[in-house]
Amino acid sequence: MKFFGFLDLRGISGQIAALVVASIVALHLIITASFLIHRPDQPDPSFDRGHAQLAAAAQLLEAAAASDRPRLMADIARAFPLLGIASIAPGVTPAAGEPDGVNLHGLHRRLGNGYRIFALPHDGEIRRLGLVLPDGAMISANILPEPRRPPFLGGPWMMTLLFAVISVTLLGLWAARALTAPLSSFAKAAESFSLDGAAAPLPERGPEEIRSVAKALNRMRERITGLIDDRTRMLAAISHDLRTPITRMRLRSEFIEDETHRSRMLGDLDQMRSMLESVLSFLRNDRKLEAMTLVDIASTLQLVTDQFGDMGCKVSYDGPPHAMATVRPDDLLRSVTNLVENAVRFGAEATIRLHTSPEQVTIDVEDDGPGISDAQKNNMLEPFVRGDDARNMDEASGFGLGLSIANAIVLAHGGALSLHDRQPHGLVVRIQLPVRQQVERSAA
Amino acid sequence: MAQPVPNILVVEDDRETRTLIAKYLRTNACNVTTATDGREMARAMTDHRVDLLILDVMLPGEDGLSLCRKVRAESQTPIIMLTARGEDVDRILGLEMGADDYLAKPFNPRELLARINAVLRRQAAAQTASTTEGATALGFAGFRIDLRLRELRDPDGARVAMTSAEFDLLRTLCERPGRVLSRDSLLDLTQGRNAGSFERSIDVLVSRIRRKIEPDPLEPTMIKTVRSGGYMFTPRVEPVKS
Repeated sequence: MKFFGFLDLRGISGQIAALVVASIVALHLIITASFLIHRPDQPDPSFDRGHAQLAAAAQLLEAAAASDRPRLMADIARAFPLLGIASIAPGVTPAAGEPDGVNLHGLHRRLGNGYRIFALPHDGEIRRLGLVLPDGAMISANILPEPRRPPFLGGPWMMTLLFAVISVTLLGLWAARALTAPLSSFAKAAESFSLDGAAAPLPERGPEEIRSVAKALNRMRERITGLIDDRTRMLAAISHDLRTPITRMRLRSEFIEDETHRSRMLGDLDQMRSMLESVLSFLRNDRKLEAMTLVDIASTLQLVTDQFGDMGCKVSYDGPPHAMATVRPDDLLRSVTNLVENAVRFGAEATIRLHTSPEQVTIDVEDDGPGISDAQKNNMLEPFVRGDDARNMDEASGFGLGLSIANAIVLAHGGALSLHDRQPHGLVVRIQLPVRQQVERSAA
Repeated sequence: MAQPVPNILVVEDDRETRTLIAKYLRTNACNVTTATDGREMARAMTDHRVDLLILDVMLPGEDGLSLCRKVRAESQTPIIMLTARGEDVDRILGLEMGADDYLAKPFNPRELLARINAVLRRQAAAQTASTTEGATALGFAGFRIDLRLRELRDPDGARVAMTSAEFDLLRTLCERPGRVLSRDSLLDLTQGRNAGSFERSIDVLVSRIRRKIEPDPLEPTMIKTVRSGGYMFTPRVEPVKS
């Protein structure tokens, strides 16, 4: 809706300007109307008061010829009885100073230069002043009290100005709130705005400027998530297709007679299978998440301990026999398994510790291996980063996705994963999960 | 107890995989027939008796999940599903469609064999079970075993993590409450004699189960050790509406 070419009401500046103008105009109309309704008939009071009379009289007397002055004086005295004008006989020395306590500004302004005002001695209640005309004649008059100039609370213009100031202030405050409200909700949404498509799109509300920014960002996010989705799908398809030849080779290995060949083949195939699993599980984290459910996570950790123990690794569990928390059970199992897999690869022994508190659950996976330097710790959580810098695959070390998958799973729970040093040497991977509902039962 | 040679039907569209599975199973005392898709499967099932069905999820034409549902609607033939996807959602979906077990590719052939044996054992044993026929879930001492989803939930409703073997053993015990079961018969009922040393021993499994469900694992009250060398499941077991 464009009224004038420049006053675009969809934008922030247009809205503010329109509001200010509209309210000032409205207020002024209201006040002027009410003023005119109430006081249309009062005469202009200003002439009866103050020094206007004296100034006019002085100027008239000055302009008149000397012979006309007495008669003029009498006329003036009749017309302005309150003024009490009289002439002073020549020969009286005018006093030096002006009467004090009186504001003679208006008189000076009206008379201009050439006139001199002087004080007269007090004569009872009424104060008088003397005035020396430019030609030397002197007159005296009462000092009429200057009307108290209504300081700016006078006519409708001043009222309007005052109201305008108040209303613009209020308007400013209102506008600030009304306009920053969408701005701050926009900022808040932008903070939780992420590119992985899980968060809600930015609200396209408010002034034009904010709407267009929100629209642009939302479109950008759609494009980027589209790109990511395409890549993910492609990677998933490739990995998926690899399962078939691996399955065949795995089955065929069962028929290899030579024991050495067979076990080497099985080892390689197992390595391929676990790399495949890790890539697919890494990609899966971008898609639909498992549902949260109440789980006895002590049993989950014991399960991991048992499974690794069965394979001949030294893994132990240290924690309560039961601990309930709301988690994604298979995701949690996968992340702890990944961490223990790393632990037994780099160390001789691993320990899984569980500690519960009312607000959170802490799972520590400790190993007694060489540990990780502080400089490396941040890097390790990135995908495809492995512990050893040399890219040799002899040790079946996988793609280096285990930690980053575990981290992604923990983050999706609203928790945190951190790496710490263990004394005297080794690594502690700490998972902290917030608990919505958690009860720890101890053995009877 | 002599174990009859099971008739297994393998439905898999990849020719090599199909042939290799069949060859492996035949080497391990199974009668195997094969099919490429739903149509051939239906024909094979009408032609002769099938004791167990191995069904791939990704099939041309009608997919494995819907075939599973159809077969389950008509018979109790045990079904093991093979999948190349391996997502947890698929696993639960497969079990809800009525599959008895689920294995992701690439799988260890020995594990396939072990699961086949376990499923056949469960099938045979179910016929001798008394109160629990047809139930999809059983309850004891506040716990709940969902036989279809293969999940155990404790009295607070929390899921208790268990391996497949632990679950099978617990289920076997639950289906025969109050009876003394020797180690041998438990082994027979859960794994069959062909399993060899692939699975953990019964004692280890029992101690792990005790750790998870007993209020005091050191003084077990639910799974009692019997002096003559066996175990007995003491709590009352009831079928539970799923």
